[in-house]
Amino acid sequence: MSGIESENVDGAVLIRLSGEVDLSWSQQVRHAVLAALESNPVVGVELSQVSYIDSSGIAALVEGFQTARARGSRFALVSVSDAVRAVLELARLDRVFLIVADRAAMLG
Amino acid sequence: MSLARRAARPPAAAQHADPARTLAFLADLSQAFAVSLDLRKTLPEALNRVADFMQAEGASLFLLEPATRVLECRICVGPVDMTGVRLAIGQGVVGLAVADNATQLVADAANDPRVWRAGDEGSGFVTKSLLCAPLATAAGPIGAIELVNRRDGQPFGAEDAEMLRLIAAPTALAINNARMANDLVEQQRMKREFDLARKLQKSLLPKRRRGLFPVLGVNLPAHEISGDFYDYFELADGRIGFVIGDISGKGLDAALLMIRAASLLRWAGKDGIAPGAWLARANDELCETTHDGRFVCALVGYCDRDANAVQIAGAGFPPVLTYKRGAFSEYASGGPPLGIMAGIAYEQHEIALNGGALYAFSDGATDVRNADGSRLGSDGVRTLIARHATQAPDARLRGLLSDLKHLKLVDDTTLLLIEKPRAHGAQVLLEHHMPARAEHLREMRNALRKLLDQLGIEPALRDRLVLAVDEACTNIIRHAYGAEGHGGIGLRVSRADDVLSFELTDDAPCVDPTRMKPKPLGECRAGGLGIALIDTVMDTWHVEPASSKCGNRLILRKRIEDKGFS
Repeated sequence: MSGIESENVDGAVLIRLSGEVDLSWSQQVRHAVLAALESNPVVGVELSQVSYIDSSGIAALVEGFQTARARGSRFALVSVSDAVRAVLELARLDRVFLIVADRAAMLG
Repeated sequence: MSLARRAARPPAAAQHADPARTLAFLADLSQAFAVSLDLRKTLPEALNRVADFMQAEGASLFLLEPATRVLECRICVGPVDMTGVRLAIGQGVVGLAVADNATQLVADAANDPRVWRAGDEGSGFVTKSLLCAPLATAAGPIGAIELVNRRDGQPFGAEDAEMLRLIAAPTALAINNARMANDLVEQQRMKREFDLARKLQKSLLPKRRRGLFPVLGVNLPAHEISGDFYDYFELADGRIGFVIGDISGKGLDAALLMIRAASLLRWAGKDGIAPGAWLARANDELCETTHDGRFVCALVGYCDRDANAVQIAGAGFPPVLTYKRGAFSEYASGGPPLGIMAGIAYEQHEIALNGGALYAFSDGATDVRNADGSRLGSDGVRTLIARHATQAPDARLRGLLSDLKHLKLVDDTTLLLIEKPRAHGAQVLLEHHMPARAEHLREMRNALRKLLDQLGIEPALRDRLVLAVDEACTNIIRHAYGAEGHGGIGLRVSRADDVLSFELTDDAPCVDPTRMKPKPLGECRAGGLGIALIDTVMDTWHVEPASSKCGNRLILRKRIEDKGFS
């Protein structure tokens, strides 16, 4: 049950991912993240239901992070699952991203 | 009135009656101690300054020898040299200061029973007044500092006593610090020596033979350095000689004897003489030089490359066990330990092993304690051997060791296993084929995850392995086949001993392996992460051309620790 859902929360966008993020749909994740950043100052990616993520999925998040930084927007990973955290740690990116516990914290 | 009194005061008291001067002196003294940990330099100078500041004719410093509990005068300034004088605790003013851990003030030395008078005899010096303060530390006094006669001829007073007590404090601290520093240096020196002995020992253990070899040894030291050893070597006639030994006692000298005994036993067995004669030769040699009550228990022998026929002889070594088709036999040593008495003949055994296994273990194995504190004993070892009997030799020794480790090791433990070597080829665990398209990655991951779970690999490692193989497939799809390419990917997972191999084969045009370079992790950029992850998770990986004229084979390998497999 892999999927993307977007939700507007108080002027911010929360992109909710679920299932296994791999090469087969990581491009869709990338597009969703970049599109959200296009028109919103705050974008969060909710990852609590993600049971697997590969480097192409991580790359989509990295691109979101870089785009947000260039624009001065806020980009956060929200309630990161253990599986995602393990890969972020393995890639030594766990201290690069803004990782928050819930959507309230995402708003800053 | 007050002016008159001040003027009447002797100059010595005036020196340290001024608080500013006193503080300055104490600060100077502490600083002098802080400059160097070399007490031979700092203490004589400090004592001179104390004598001057206190306006005393003489001063001496006594230190308590921790071993003998005797006070000895180490430094002395003044007209009488007391250096080397030794006093018992409680003896004389110095001894009392240490015994009571309290300052002793003697105003009239001639009539005070506390004074030990031997110092004055024959020197012409007359002790009039004495003042002595203990060098107090948290662990009790470590000595005392004593002043003799005020230069103004007055007796020492309560103010002097208080002043000397203040001086004694930084002095005691400085001496204590220097002693602790010395202890540390000594500990480091001993550690270096132990490290050296351990390296020497390790260098003596034989290198593991590649390929089929009938002898396997393992050594598990209970402490930093071991008194156990094993060895094996090939003879010109094709037989293999082996040795396992155990030195009595512990520590550095046992380790050094082990190094000697190991060399000697190898030398004595190189000619291929019968095991009994081999031991006799080593025993005579050891007896010539080992006289300190230490001895060596050892087992030596030969086997052929298929370990069908084994000859052994033991010297005070625990009985050897053979395990053949579910039954144990035991072979006792043929003589006493080596190094006790020369000229002994050692009985030997001829064993037809024929497919069975022979286990020789130092008494460390039988001395291992069960949970209830009882010795594991020979029966316990038999139970362990039977439990692991179905495993390949390597895995079996590791299993035995791991069981022994769970029990409590009280001694070094060394095991030697002799068994006909069998080819334990790689075992194929999974073959999975998939079209080289991203939507099929998930199936592959599920199949792999299931296999790794069956192998009992713990979840965190399982997930990393799945990730690495998935990244490898992703790479093949994106880069080897590229946008237009189509074809398949074959995944084969195999296991040889404790190494898992993941082999990925494709039909894509040959890739240039030099272009597959991992980027540093932690760099925040979108590309190149996949290979970096593979590189981090796997022990080794490489790409080679597949056997046909196109296609690639990517091989990832990971050694799984014992605890990785359930």
